[in-house]
Amino acid sequence: MFHPTIWCDSDDYRADVEVVDPKKCLEESCKPKCVKPLLEYQACVKRVQGDESGHKHCTGQYFDYWQCVDKCVGPKLFAELK
Amino acid sequence: MVGGGVFQQILRRKLHSPSLATPVRSWLSSKTAHVEAGSSGVRAFALLGAGVTGLLSFSTVASADEAEHGLACPDYPWPHDGILSSYDHASIRRGHQVYQQVCASCHSMSLISYRDLVGVAYTEEEAKAMAAEIEVVDGPNDEGEMFTRPGKLSDRLPQPYANESAARFANGGAYPPDLSLITKARHNGQNYVFALLTGYRDPPAGISIREGLHYNPYFPGGAIAMPKMLNDEAVEYEDGVPATEAQMGKDVVSFLSWAAEPEMEERKLMGFKWIFLLSLALLQAAYYRRLKWSVLKSRKLVLDVVN
Repeated sequence: MFHPTIWCDSDDYRADVEVVDPKKCLEESCKPKCVKPLLEYQACVKRVQGDESGHKHCTGQYFDYWQCVDKCVGPKLFAELK
Repeated sequence: MVGGGVFQQILRRKLHSPSLATPVRSWLSSKTAHVEAGSSGVRAFALLGAGVTGLLSFSTVASADEAEHGLACPDYPWPHDGILSSYDHASIRRGHQVYQQVCASCHSMSLISYRDLVGVAYTEEEAKAMAAEIEVVDGPNDEGEMFTRPGKLSDRLPQPYANESAARFANGGAYPPDLSLITKARHNGQNYVFALLTGYRDPPAGISIREGLHYNPYFPGGAIAMPKMLNDEAVEYEDGVPATEAQMGKDVVSFLSWAAEPEMEERKLMGFKWIFLLSLALLQAAYYRRLKWSVLKSRKLVLDVVN
C-alpha cells in the first residue's frame, strides 16, 4: 500500500542522494485524494484557453484544488521535518 | 415604471395614514383600487429581476474576493502550540541562521538585540562573536565625531536599508516589512508566513502577473513583490539537518514566532499556575460566601394572622 510517510522522509543523509522537499513530495502524494477539484481545474483551463477577452480565469477552481491539497498535507508535513 | 409608480402611491398612502394598525388591509385595498390590468405582473417581474441581478452580482463579487483575500492557509501542528509547550530552541537557532543568510539582506528586525538571543538560540560567547562581526555607528566621541565600532550584545540586529524610502527604492517601490512582530501582525501569522514562504506556485490559467511581481496564492491579491527565497539547500545547517524548503520555512517561522513573542514560555507557565490557583481560590470563596449567607438563607418566616 502506498505509504507517503516513508516516501517523503527526508532522513536520508547519504551525500549522493538528492534532497527531497517533503512538502512538494506530500503534495504529489495528496493529488489522488483531490482528483475532483483537479479535474474541475483542468476543465476550466480548457475553457479559458480559447478565451480572447482576457477576463476569464480559473482562480476559483485553482483555490479549491490547493485548499484540498493543503488540508491533506497540513497534518502530515511536520512529522517529516526535524 | 408603471409598477414603480403604483408602489410609490401605496407607500405614500401608508405613510400618510393616521393609524398604522392595519397597514396590510389598507395596502390590499389600495392595491385593488389603483392597480391597472397588467401593472402588478410588471411589478412582480421587476422585483424578480432585481433579485436575480443581486444574486448574480454576489457571485461575481465572491470570485473577485477570493484572490483579494488570498487562499486560506492551512493550520500546521507547530511544536509550540500546546498549552504547556515550549519553543523548539534548536529550530529557533536554525531559523535565525536562515534569517541571517536569506532574509536579512532585505528585511530588518530592528526590535531584536543580540543579547535577546543569549540563552534562547546561542550561548553568550557565540552571540558576542556574532555581534562583533557587524559595524555599528556610535558617537559622538570626545572630538564630536561619529565613529564606527564592532557590535556588542546590546546592539540591535543590523538594518539592511537606512530608511523606508531606501528600502522601497531598492525593491521596486515595495517595502520589505520589518519582521520583529510579523507573526503577530498578520492574521493566523505563523501559518500564513509558512504557507507564503513555501507556497510559490505557477499562477492559474488566465492570470498573468506583471513583470517584477510574482504569483503567490496566499498573498492577498496574488501578486507579491518578493520572489521565492527558500530553495532547497540554500543554507547549510550547522547541525546537519537537511535544509529543504519546508524545513527552512518551519525553522524561520519558529524564529519569527519567538521574535514576536519571546515571553511565550513564561506566559504559559504563569497562566497555568495562576488559573489553577485562582480556581482553588474560587472554590474557597464560594464556600465562604455560602457559609456566611447560610444564616440568612435558612431564615424561616412565620405569618402571624389575627382572625
